[in-house]
Amino acid sequence: MNKNWRWLPAGIVPVVIVTAAVSGSAVAEAQPQLPAKTAQELLEFVATSAEDAYSGTVEQSSDLGLPDISMATPPGGTSSSDPTSTALELLTADHTAQVYVDGPDRARVQVLDQLAQRDVVVNQDDVWFYDSSANEAMHAVLPDRESAKAELEAKLQEKAAEYPELQDVPRTPAELAEVFLATIDPSTEVTVDGTRRVAGRSAYELRLTPEDATTLIGSIAVSVDSETGVPLSVTVQAKGQEDAAFQAGFSAVDFSTPDAGIFEFTPPADATVTEAPTVDDARARMEAKDEPIATDEPVVIGEGWSTIVELPAGTAAKLGVAPGSGEAAGMGDIMDIKPGMDPEEVAGAQAMLDQALTEVDGGSALQTSLVSVLVTDDGRILAGAVGVDQLVAAAQR
Amino acid sequence: MPAERSLGLSLVLSEITVLFRRLRTWAMIGALALIPILIAVVVRVSSDGSASGRGPAFLDSITQNGLFVSLTALTVAIPLFLPLTIGVVAGDTIAGEANLGTLRYLLVAPAGRIRLLLVKYTGAALFCLVATLTVVVTGAIIGALLFPVGPVTLLSGDTVGIVGYFGRLLLLALYVTVSLMGLSAIGLFISTLTTIPVGAMAATAALAAVAQILGALPQLEWLHPWLFTNYWLGFADFLRQPLVWNSFLDNALLQFGYIAVFGSLAYGRFSTKDILS
Amino acid sequence: MSADGFAIETRGLTKEFGRQKAVNSVDLAVPRGTVFGFLGPNGSGKTTTIRVLLGLAAASSGEIRLLDGDMPKDARAVLPRVGALVEGPAIYPFLSGRANLQRFDAADRHTSPATRNRRVDAALERVGLSHAANKRAHAYSLGMKQRLGIANALLAPRDLLILDEPTNGLDPQGTREVRSLIRSLSEDGTTIFVSSHLLAEVEQMCTMIAVMSAGRLVAQGSLDELRDGGTVRVRVTTPDVSDARRVLTGLGLRPEPHGRDDVVAAELAVPGLLPEAVNAALVHADVRVRGFEASGASLEDRFVALTGEGFDVAG
Ligand SMILES: Nc1ncnc2c1ncn2[C@@H]1O[C@H](COP(=O)(O)OP(=O)(O)O)[C@@H](O)[C@H]1O
Ligand SMILES: [Mg+2]
Repeated sequence: MNKNWRWLPAGIVPVVIVTAAVSGSAVAEAQPQLPAKTAQELLEFVATSAEDAYSGTVEQSSDLGLPDISMATPPGGTSSSDPTSTALELLTADHTAQVYVDGPDRARVQVLDQLAQRDVVVNQDDVWFYDSSANEAMHAVLPDRESAKAELEAKLQEKAAEYPELQDVPRTPAELAEVFLATIDPSTEVTVDGTRRVAGRSAYELRLTPEDATTLIGSIAVSVDSETGVPLSVTVQAKGQEDAAFQAGFSAVDFSTPDAGIFEFTPPADATVTEAPTVDDARARMEAKDEPIATDEPVVIGEGWSTIVELPAGTAAKLGVAPGSGEAAGMGDIMDIKPGMDPEEVAGAQAMLDQALTEVDGGSALQTSLVSVLVTDDGRILAGAVGVDQLVAAAQR
Repeated sequence: MPAERSLGLSLVLSEITVLFRRLRTWAMIGALALIPILIAVVVRVSSDGSASGRGPAFLDSITQNGLFVSLTALTVAIPLFLPLTIGVVAGDTIAGEANLGTLRYLLVAPAGRIRLLLVKYTGAALFCLVATLTVVVTGAIIGALLFPVGPVTLLSGDTVGIVGYFGRLLLLALYVTVSLMGLSAIGLFISTLTTIPVGAMAATAALAAVAQILGALPQLEWLHPWLFTNYWLGFADFLRQPLVWNSFLDNALLQFGYIAVFGSLAYGRFSTKDILS
Repeated sequence: MSADGFAIETRGLTKEFGRQKAVNSVDLAVPRGTVFGFLGPNGSGKTTTIRVLLGLAAASSGEIRLLDGDMPKDARAVLPRVGALVEGPAIYPFLSGRANLQRFDAADRHTSPATRNRRVDAALERVGLSHAANKRAHAYSLGMKQRLGIANALLAPRDLLILDEPTNGLDPQGTREVRSLIRSLSEDGTTIFVSSHLLAEVEQMCTMIAVMSAGRLVAQGSLDELRDGGTVRVRVTTPDVSDARRVLTGLGLRPEPHGRDDVVAAELAVPGLLPEAVNAALVHADVRVRGFEASGASLEDRFVALTGEGFDVAG
């Protein structure tokens, strides 16, 4: 009597599941048929994109060849609300965010952390930043949207100066695309690289390839929604690395107007609320302290993709990145090392920095697959999407 | 001639009665109820009003709002205590009956092997729900007794009233219950492999631990979406405004996959097994 | 359903555990309405046969008909009509005796929940456990557990009862009760298949028997048939021993040496030769016959011959 057929389901079910998973992603990856567009047409399509209300889920991942910084924050979501580490963590760790946009004046981005969440809510003139794990809210009033937005972001990344590329932390694929499209110059080859499906929608793939031997950036692909012209995903490829160095894109998107209530934000009664100073306040305060306002004017070396930004001597010391004084102590700022922190956490963060930092001629450098940073012994900071040797050469110039 | 066949819900009822007439079941439920009680009492006794920023999530919120006790307790219970109790119940399903010898009388009755598997799984699933609710409800009660309660701040910074909060808490209990369904199916399968219930229980609980360890290793990132523990802490999605269903749906799909695979493995094994105990 | 059919019928039933054949080509035929004894020393394959009959274990080869169905294919239709005690009782120690029976009854989809309590009480009554019905079963004595196991087999009206060593662990009083219970059930028309390693028990209860030895079915039939299967022995007490030997040898028998010097004994191994003819021949030859005895083989001898061992020997 053969009863072996009873094992059939156990054989079939996994096959069915794997097949469904594979064919599901195959369907998702099948290239949609779309009318051909030239690169120029596609750029214009993006620029004139009429969409202004949508919501969706954005997935972001990166592989910069760095130790995972999210490991440095203890599990359970008590990550710091320190803006620098927040900005850095936002860009280096994997994230899922819910994005709600209604016109240029209303937006809400929710970074979904495990058991925690960070929100940026823009509603007309009000901007709120809320971090659930610290239960801290920051509020800013925008005199006019454009400059105030920049103000808020400057505030958020005050200390992230050594990462100029990271300064304008883009929050939606559209904003990200803006950053990269703005860099298009004669040294960039712009092509339309077929079509793709992104978040269940058909999209054109716009590819920017730097024709510059020195930059670390291999190419940048922007998926543009074929109906609305909205960039749905951005993928940055680093030279000599197979996996995408950075990727952010919608996994689901809905082009209907989000509920207005989403943009109403009242901080919780028990939250610590700080009021961000307006531009004038900041200026006044700086003057009162008798500090020069714009001493840290960066020097821009080169152009195009291999641009290097140099912050003058003194910046490093001011940021606490004292050269020589304990290789990584200063960089601890980035890693969010604060007095009174659990010594184990500090040690962990230090160890990771030691791993990441390398001694080079005339300073120490941090090399990622996309960006390099050099802290010279005389206290200058150089950064760019180029190799460390380029930075060293620029520093000795 | 065989008499008319009823739907056979009697056996489900009987299974539930037998499960909840065991002292062991109540001991486990009691242990689970102790988690929120312990947390609340310790926080209450040692409360100096300062938030340390350390410890399990939501711990610092408890002094302001007792309703957070449920959440802290769930966060603590999910990685260890819940899988442990589910391991005991799911690992015992078939192996326990085989060990007592009662399995042969159930099958001769005849219970039907597939039906018995389904009934056993239903019992284990119900226990998942009861275990989760125990943590949540005890937490809410002890929190309300020891701390002030009021409108609750969600992760998104929005505030919901107590009624809305309880609605979300129920959804959350549902989420955690669904999270444990895959593990229950694994336990059911392991239980068909042996006549020694303790072995099946230990193996099931150990698998839950192994899956969580693998889930913590960044080198195995490709594996993570396939681990049944992957979305265990994703229940926080029900504490966001607007509600995010992604984790719930992904989790449900994943757990369903585990139920299908291990359910059919259990079927394959149990329907061909010689009952010799 | 034909009343004269078999309640249990197997053909070439074999069950292997690895290389060991625990049941080896067994052809059982249990007529309906009989009390059928399934006899064999410990380890001879009785319980294994019963497990396979009930679909608990799969046969390695062979066919099984149980009542009107093929096992295990028709198990769902057949098993509700079969009550069984297999390898002793099994209980949930944390439940009362009554709750134990209620659980087993609930496992059967064909029983009515409405009559459950009544049937459970009746079964408890029938095995004399009513007084202990609400006691936790872990406090039951071995005999009480055995009674509970039998009660479980009696929860619904059955066409066939399969009882594996039902008197195990019972005191003499209990054994008597089970015997009379089986008798009364049989009078109701239930076919009863009862296994035992005790010859005396089977002899008292059963009308038909089958004998297992080392996995094989070595004999099957009514008690009388089995007795007849043995040969008759004659035993002559006489002072003329050598004359008697000569006469017996002349008749084609082979006299055996006997412990006493005034006794000659021989197996009546010649077909058609009756004891009275032997006696007549002795008298005719002037042998002084002081005693003449012709006896059939005892069942005991018969089974020792069949199985090669005594029945109470642990095997
Ligand atoms: N689960 C098992 N695995 C291996 N051998 C077994 C198993 N159960 C029984 N046997 C063997 O099968 C033979 C018959 O056992 P069983 O049917 O229990 O005998 P009985 O009931 O007549 O005493 C024995 O030799 C026993 O060792
Ligand atoms: Mg036996």
